[in-house]
Amino acid sequence: MTSAVATPERRRRLRPSGGPDRVFRVVLRLAGAAVLVLMAMVGTFLFTKAVSALRVAGWSFLTTEEWEPDSGRFGIAAVLTGTILIASVAISIAVPLATGMALYVSEYAPGRVRRILINMIDLMAAVPSVVYGLWGFAFLQAHMIGLARWLSTYFAWFPLFKVTGSDPRDPLATETVYTSSTFIAGLVVALMVAPVICSIMREAFSQAPIGEREGAYALGATRWGMIRSVVLPFGKGGMIGGTMLGLGRALGETIAVYLIISPVFVIQPHVLQNGANSVSALIALRYGESGPMALSALMAAGVALFLLTLVVNFAAGSIVARSRSGAESEA
Amino acid sequence: MSKRRALLAVAAVLVLFFAGQTPAMAAAYVPINGAGSTWSENAIRQWASNVEQYGMRINYDGTGSTNGRNQFASGLTDFGVSEIPYGKDDGAASEARPKFPFAYMPIVAGGTSFMYNLKIGNSRVTNLRLSGDTLAKIFTNVITNWNDPAIKADNPGLVLPGRKIVPVVRSDGSGTTAQFTTWMVNQYPSIWNAYCAKAGRKTPCGVTSSYPLVPGTSTTAQSSSTGVSGYVSQDSSVGSITYVEYSYALNLHFPVAKLRNKSDYFVEPTARSVAVALLSAKINTNKSSGDYLTQDLTGVYNSGDARTYPLSSYSYMLIPVDQENTRFKVAKGKTLGDFSYYFLCEGQQQADQLGYSPLPINLVQAGLDQVRRIPGVDAQNVNIAKCNNPTFSKDGSNTLAKTAPYPQTCDKVGTTQCATGTGGAKANTPTSNGGSKNTPGTAATTKPGANPSGSTPTAAASTGTGTTGGGAAIDPDTGQAVGGTGGGGTDNAAAIPVSLSSQLDPTLKTVLIVVACGLLLGLTVGPPLVARMVNRGGRP
Repeated sequence: MTSAVATPERRRRLRPSGGPDRVFRVVLRLAGAAVLVLMAMVGTFLFTKAVSALRVAGWSFLTTEEWEPDSGRFGIAAVLTGTILIASVAISIAVPLATGMALYVSEYAPGRVRRILINMIDLMAAVPSVVYGLWGFAFLQAHMIGLARWLSTYFAWFPLFKVTGSDPRDPLATETVYTSSTFIAGLVVALMVAPVICSIMREAFSQAPIGEREGAYALGATRWGMIRSVVLPFGKGGMIGGTMLGLGRALGETIAVYLIISPVFVIQPHVLQNGANSVSALIALRYGESGPMALSALMAAGVALFLLTLVVNFAAGSIVARSRSGAESEA
Repeated sequence: MSKRRALLAVAAVLVLFFAGQTPAMAAAYVPINGAGSTWSENAIRQWASNVEQYGMRINYDGTGSTNGRNQFASGLTDFGVSEIPYGKDDGAASEARPKFPFAYMPIVAGGTSFMYNLKIGNSRVTNLRLSGDTLAKIFTNVITNWNDPAIKADNPGLVLPGRKIVPVVRSDGSGTTAQFTTWMVNQYPSIWNAYCAKAGRKTPCGVTSSYPLVPGTSTTAQSSSTGVSGYVSQDSSVGSITYVEYSYALNLHFPVAKLRNKSDYFVEPTARSVAVALLSAKINTNKSSGDYLTQDLTGVYNSGDARTYPLSSYSYMLIPVDQENTRFKVAKGKTLGDFSYYFLCEGQQQADQLGYSPLPINLVQAGLDQVRRIPGVDAQNVNIAKCNNPTFSKDGSNTLAKTAPYPQTCDKVGTTQCATGTGGAKANTPTSNGGSKNTPGTAATTKPGANPSGSTPTAAASTGTGTTGGGAAIDPDTGQAVGGTGGGGTDNAAAIPVSLSSQLDPTLKTVLIVVACGLLLGLTVGPPLVARMVNRGGRP
């Protein structure tokens, strides 16, 4: 076996690589470099465009909540917090959902159901985000008001769930305080990122070595016992990596958030309350109507988002690569 | 041989087919793109689909007036549509103007209306009246509740619920916002400045396209006219009110507020009341001015005519003019020119039906002159008399404004209001005589069985729901929507507020829920645990 593998390798080394081979290698290297160059170009472009706004705002860019670029008062304190809040709501809903889906698909579902489910999940990931947004605005929002009210009524002691201006004992209280909130936007984004997270997790789970699974069964484990002792520890890297990739997507989600939220320029930690914001939605909302200064300010906000997603994605990459399932799939 | 004949036949048919097509292709219009105002979007979309039969493709993108001006200035679009001219907006003093020659061309008139979603009990209110300062205070969060005495004073016939008012404003740069704030700046500067200061804008606060928001208020911001009107029309948005062009309320079958004018009448923004109001608009007639044909609406706001809707205005198309085939392609000029000829002449007939108001003759004439300046236009001599524009008359006066009926007595300040619906919600809202100043003139609206549809000038689509007469006749449980969404139940709108029995203290409730959850857990998980412990203990 080893000799069979070794022989062709030795033969290839003996012959100096020919022209086509070299050309191919150059093309591949260029393609690889293009990715890096593009990344760098996006970064430099954003940064050079943002410089004039950053010079005006200085360090207060990080601490100012308002967004009035024409009068020189603007910063990302509110929008960046809003982005992170929406993304965290999305992730805390999407991850349990995706874990359940992935475990069912990879461990429990019978063959035909599994194929159908995999197709459906891929389909969910392929639905354009504007469709999710419209559906969220026109349909889901009205149906989630009840849940939001219930949460705020009974869990208002949890600071994030507080809703000012709501009075559950007043039958005439307006329901609009629960609409256009971080929670509703996060929920829609959760439905968009869940399929992505789910596919990565499923991939990781299905790679759990068959020998270890059978070993667990042989030691008397139930199926859940086997999942707990073999599949989950093995797929941990995939789970974390999938979550981080989902987080990256959730941070950058634009149009669905844009359609749902009512933008406010203060730090709004009450996730159930009307009023939210995100960097990408702000850019989508304002880019078309901005003068040069406002545009530069939007670019600066873009830089912040770019750096944030970069960090998240690098972290995800390194975690996935370091884990067992990830290392195996990389190799 | 027969095969060959068949081929020939096919060829002949094809030739005939293409020959038939040629006349249509001969016009050969190049598609043009425009973007801007959502205020005028409904009219433009209708016109664009009307001219499709002539082979014209007009792509219009309702992105908001500010965006429309910006895109036109940077040459991304062939035409723009905006409610306000360049440089009017306070917030964007640095707004870029086009670097090429351009002109304003009035396209349609209309009323910025106040669409609301309000219910008393289960029945929709369709006849709300508001005076200007009340309205300004609502949108600046001074009046925050529907049962505020100021609103009660405007609506003596309605017992409004103690609901919170949710003003819905535009989050994007919008000409509708600009129209509304122009009116506030002009009429209620102190209310507007106080609000602006609270929102952190510098005062005195001018006209703005992006509505300032004060954190912590019930005001909600949505993007585009479709966004705000769609938000208000949702079932969960009872208590909300927004500013939007009249046509949006018509399309969604929602009522609009009747606004009080300077003669103390409450008037709906119909085509006629807008036409009357705009008689007082001052149009810039200085052809050499960069703002030729733009409007000064101060006269409209202060118009003494009893039929005036104060928030009436024109919207403009931004068109490229007088250039040497440099940027603007001549072929596009032909499409833009023919499209303009269409909507300035024939298109105006439809304005009323769409929720707008047709342009008067002087503006159509001026508009037609502007069309001649578009590069590449196929100049026509339009016979204005043949346009069938409802505002035209032989002597040059505005027929529509001349024939506009005077408001009913029940629309006068201090009377019990008319029961008839407004906007797209034509169903009646029964009024009570609870008002203190009930005049005999209101009898028609409160008399049981009286058919009010005959007495309203605006009830074009009246569904004849003349069954309301105080509301006592019909069981509230069976009274379901009669006329579209505006129907609502027929239970008495003047319901008496009910106070509910006292409820549990919220903290106690939370504690009880936690206890209940603990019990449930204990009951489900407890027995197996106990069983296992017993088993383990029993084993040696």
